Amino acid sequence: MALRAPSSPVVAKTPNQLFGKILIANRGEIALRIQRACRELGIKTVVVHSEADRDALHVSLADESICIGPARAKDSYLNMSAILCAATVTGAEAIHPGYGLLAENARFAGLCRECGVAFIGPSAEVLARMGDKNEARRAMRDAGVPVIPGSSVVPTPEAAREAAREVGYPLLVKARAGGGGRGIRLVESEAELEHAYHAACAEAQSAFGDGAVYIEKYLNPVKHIEVQLLCDHHGNVVCLGERECSVQRRNQKLVEESPSPAVTPELRSRLTEVCARAAKAVGYANAGTIEFLLDRDGSFYFMEMNTRLQVEHPVTEMVTGVDLVKWQIRVAAGLPLSFSQEDIALQGCAIECRINAENPALGFCPSGGRVTLLHVPGGPWVRMDTALYQDYVVPPYYDSMIAKLIVHAKTREEALRKMQAALCELVIEGVAHNGELQMEILSDERFCSGSYTTDFMTKRG
Amino acid sequence: MLGKGIFKKPKNTLEASPFEATAKKPGASGEVCVKCPACRTALFLGDLAANGRICPRCGAYFRMGARERLDSVCDADSFEELFSGVVSGDPLRFPDYENKLAQARARSGEPEAVVCGTARLGGVPMAIFAMEPEFMLGSMGAALGEKVTLLFEQATLNRLPVVGFTVSGGARMQEGILSLMQMAKTSGAVRRHGDAGLLYICVLTDPTTGGVTASFAMQGDITLAEPGALVGFAGPRVIEQTMRQKLPERFQRAEFLLEKGFVDAIVGRREMKQTLSLLLRLHGGEAAV
Repeated sequence: MALRAPSSPVVAKTPNQLFGKILIANRGEIALRIQRACRELGIKTVVVHSEADRDALHVSLADESICIGPARAKDSYLNMSAILCAATVTGAEAIHPGYGLLAENARFAGLCRECGVAFIGPSAEVLARMGDKNEARRAMRDAGVPVIPGSSVVPTPEAAREAAREVGYPLLVKARAGGGGRGIRLVESEAELEHAYHAACAEAQSAFGDGAVYIEKYLNPVKHIEVQLLCDHHGNVVCLGERECSVQRRNQKLVEESPSPAVTPELRSRLTEVCARAAKAVGYANAGTIEFLLDRDGSFYFMEMNTRLQVEHPVTEMVTGVDLVKWQIRVAAGLPLSFSQEDIALQGCAIECRINAENPALGFCPSGGRVTLLHVPGGPWVRMDTALYQDYVVPPYYDSMIAKLIVHAKTREEALRKMQAALCELVIEGVAHNGELQMEILSDERFCSGSYTTDFMTKRG
Repeated sequence: MLGKGIFKKPKNTLEASPFEATAKKPGASGEVCVKCPACRTALFLGDLAANGRICPRCGAYFRMGARERLDSVCDADSFEELFSGVVSGDPLRFPDYENKLAQARARSGEPEAVVCGTARLGGVPMAIFAMEPEFMLGSMGAALGEKVTLLFEQATLNRLPVVGFTVSGGARMQEGILSLMQMAKTSGAVRRHGDAGLLYICVLTDPTTGGVTASFAMQGDITLAEPGALVGFAGPRVIEQTMRQKLPERFQRAEFLLEKGFVDAIVGRREMKQTLSLLLRLHGGEAAV
């Protein structure tokens, strides 16, 4: 028995129309976020879900839903053939992958194209190029983007040692195929290098099936700054300002804000210019983010490009008034951006706190179970993106992020006050979460002053 | 828990855009996925080909095209095709046969249901044929019989061993008695090749049945089979209905035939090249320099 791609391309009916139906290949709050955009645009939604997500909010809200496999993501949300079969049988014209899961999977994007379904994101070629961290560094260097001093792939410990002498200690051994903080080792001196090299290679091999690593200078203390890009298929590139995400625990972001208190208007215009050039150089289309490390002296270095929607995209939406998800869909349908760089002015300040189902008192042990009482904060310029509802059971199989609380105000000071008040209003009974930790972070003097760096959480202890 | 209909549907029509979309819309290509008949998993064709057309999930064997088969066992760039000009005609003017032939050619990309030639395997020169399942399930007509016969004659002349991969639904009924005569003709050629002291290894793949089983498929000096291959003259359903008896489980499967002595060994696809190479060397084949 064979599944064939449709003989005629499944596309919007007339050239100036959007997709009529979109399949959402994700879960949780981001699936809901995409559904909301679709419902506003008049697009029908198909959701795929695992057996564990039958009672999920995104399933109830969808026009059509298809169960594609058991709870484990490997068997359901990462099951490419099942997702493409679901798209084919429901006649979905496009697939939105959200973030994580298949969002940066070049093979999946290629298969979508083969099946005649639009992938809402950049092309498979761009995904593959930016997914190879070593190749991405080279592409950015060629485009004139400052890159952290480092080597290309080092095939042996000897080559690593030689490269390390040039780069200087401390340094990082990083996986070419890296992501999510895996396959990275910090090396303080030459004595630790060989062990770290083998450890990083082995971890990268098991996590990504590719053990190639390279060496990069370890910069500390630094800020994590990222620039949001939106590019269409007509050569238009717009930078939607920066976000600062220096509050991280084990390479996972906890608090994000836009604009960054450390970025001056001059620095912003330099970042904008560099990012627009880089996006054009790699032929980027759709939403993407370029991540930088910002040194104390104001110099910035390319870290990586995220070829997808980011978790923290709402802060950019709040300060620019641009609905990123709707634009992702419009761009994938071939529409040009209706605004240019000159139209973008960052208004006020937005902060996002990630609410994770984990218990900070118990070493951030993941939590799950039934939500016995839920109160969502409200009021002006308070937004909560979540797929929780009263009596929902948080399943233990997936990412621990259960909500994002976002506030927007005229000034950073006001936004901080608003977030403190909103966090106090947030009640999720039955599931342990990090709301109180977030309040502590927001009242930390280093955070309030805006001088915090990526070692903020380690220094807190 | 949330019911299916608790949320109302917004009455928003599809957002109209004042702009003309000009970006290239996604196009469709041919087949992307197949379903494994054994475990019912949907598999991408690329994954299947990369895994030697074996289901990565349950290990079931998919049929393999003649060219793919040759690629999988012959040394790189060593295959030289012979007799590609010998093709089926329609001697009996059998209704719709020409049409069927045209379809088979389009589907398989081959002019006939067998591909013959010479190649090297592990450095050892040999003559080789592989039958094509996508061409009327490798059915034997006059052209197929002629190609196999010519190959054996050429191998006898040049003192080469023959390796053959069979897959066939049997004689081609559209050519009537002419196709049945191929059984005798090919058998004669195999015999003369054997009488000259030369080695013939036949690999039975799923399915090998009818006139091909009753002639050159079963005449190898060494008979190998792929795991689970169905090999027989008449199919199990026909036998069951004729004899009015329940047949044993896995009847006519490679494992059953091995037990009964019709097959010398069952060799998996991944080990096929290595096994053939070893057998050729053990029987005096020397690597050509």
